[in-house]
Amino acid sequence: MSFEPKILGIACNWCTYTGADLAGTTRLKYPQNLRLIRVMCSSRINPSFIIRGFQLGADGVLVGGCHPGDCHYGTGNLYARRKLAITRKILEFAGMEPGRFRVEWISASEGNKFAEVVGEFTNQVRTLGPQTKFKITKDGQ
Amino acid sequence: MTAFKKIEDHLRKEAKNLLEGGKVTLVLAYARGFDEKHPVPCVVKAAADADHLVFNEYCTYNMARYLTRYPVGTKIAVAVKGADSRAVVQLIQEGKVRRDDLVILGIPATGMKNQKTGEVIDAKTTASTINPVLYDVLLGDEIHGVKAGSPYDVLAEFEGMDKDARWAFWKKEFERCIRCYACRKACPMCYCDPCFMDASRPRWADKSPTDDGTLMYHLTRFYHLAGRCIDCGECSRACPVDIPLHLFHKKVAKECEAMFGQAAGMNIEDKPAMANFKGEDSDQMLG
Ligand code: SF4
Ligand code: SF4
Repeated sequence: MSFEPKILGIACNWCTYTGADLAGTTRLKYPQNLRLIRVMCSSRINPSFIIRGFQLGADGVLVGGCHPGDCHYGTGNLYARRKLAITRKILEFAGMEPGRFRVEWISASEGNKFAEVVGEFTNQVRTLGPQTKFKITKDGQ
Repeated sequence: MTAFKKIEDHLRKEAKNLLEGGKVTLVLAYARGFDEKHPVPCVVKAAADADHLVFNEYCTYNMARYLTRYPVGTKIAVAVKGADSRAVVQLIQEGKVRRDDLVILGIPATGMKNQKTGEVIDAKTTASTINPVLYDVLLGDEIHGVKAGSPYDVLAEFEGMDKDARWAFWKKEFERCIRCYACRKACPMCYCDPCFMDASRPRWADKSPTDDGTLMYHLTRFYHLAGRCIDCGECSRACPVDIPLHLFHKKVAKECEAMFGQAAGMNIEDKPAMANFKGEDSDQMLG
């Protein structure tokens, strides 16, 4: 059987998650590899969520938030941008493939973009193959 | 060459005066351990004890580490070398200590030595800041004309590695971790109580030293130190199994400096980089 990646998505309530809803209500197709978790704001995302996601078997992690300037709370995503940027560097320096982690700003009206990004990212992760570096295999929970 | 003896005399004199005059209630510095090559961190509370204080090339501990153990408002004199002074600045930025409560005894020093190996600590490890960036009293003359070198040069080798080789390197290093948390204990910026590792809800990672729990601990700690690590190297020196944690911290510091335009602990007016954003931040940083 061909490899189907598990993608962990973490999306903010106000933009990206609503964008996902729009993709759904407009009947757009996107891969079912995505497991989407909703948070209230992209700045709610603790980088440990991402590490934990990889440990629990995600092959790729996609984070979505409002476009800078459009944050429901004003500035949340501006803090998030810094946090996620440094998270990316840490993952890379630890040896994780950079292609397994992506941040995208997707607004509530961008259902199309949501479907496209998920499709693209899933394909990218599929070519990278299974993520084995962080994945927990033996002890641990 | 650093005039250690002169600094030591000056340190004792200052400590004595400050305690006698009631300016401070305690002095954080160093005392002799079981021999002079193994000094220990020391808290002096009585002027009469000031003569126990020492300063030599083995006094590597970052005494800023102990500041947050006392309630805000405690008047403290603290002896700090270059990097240590940056830790004080960073703690002030973070509101953990108040500038007014401190008498900062600055020590310009080069040629400090690792207690375990006897090696001189240079910029390759962690001696890129020679003169204290903030002080009230300088215990020795400022050192000029010594090139410290970039703290980041040592990273070239690791940045040049293939990602799989890098993973293999860190995996091997982390496998040796016995989760004693000495790195966390030695670090001036690790003051959280409780640490996320000690939390049971959520339980972020295994409490026993399993590989995945250790990975979670270290990666999260590197992240928690982003924009805050002042490159004192105490984490690596404290580690009983010699994991070169400072390398990873250096990498994170380098990226922070490049992306956010500020190094940790250089200026008390700065805001901590991760608790801030600027208009000029761009999506480029997301790579
Ligand atoms: S992480 Fe290590 S080098 Fe950085 S401040 Fe803490 S102890 Fe010093
Ligand atoms: S000091 Fe070394 S062995 Fe102890 S927890 Fe830190 S990295 Fe692990």
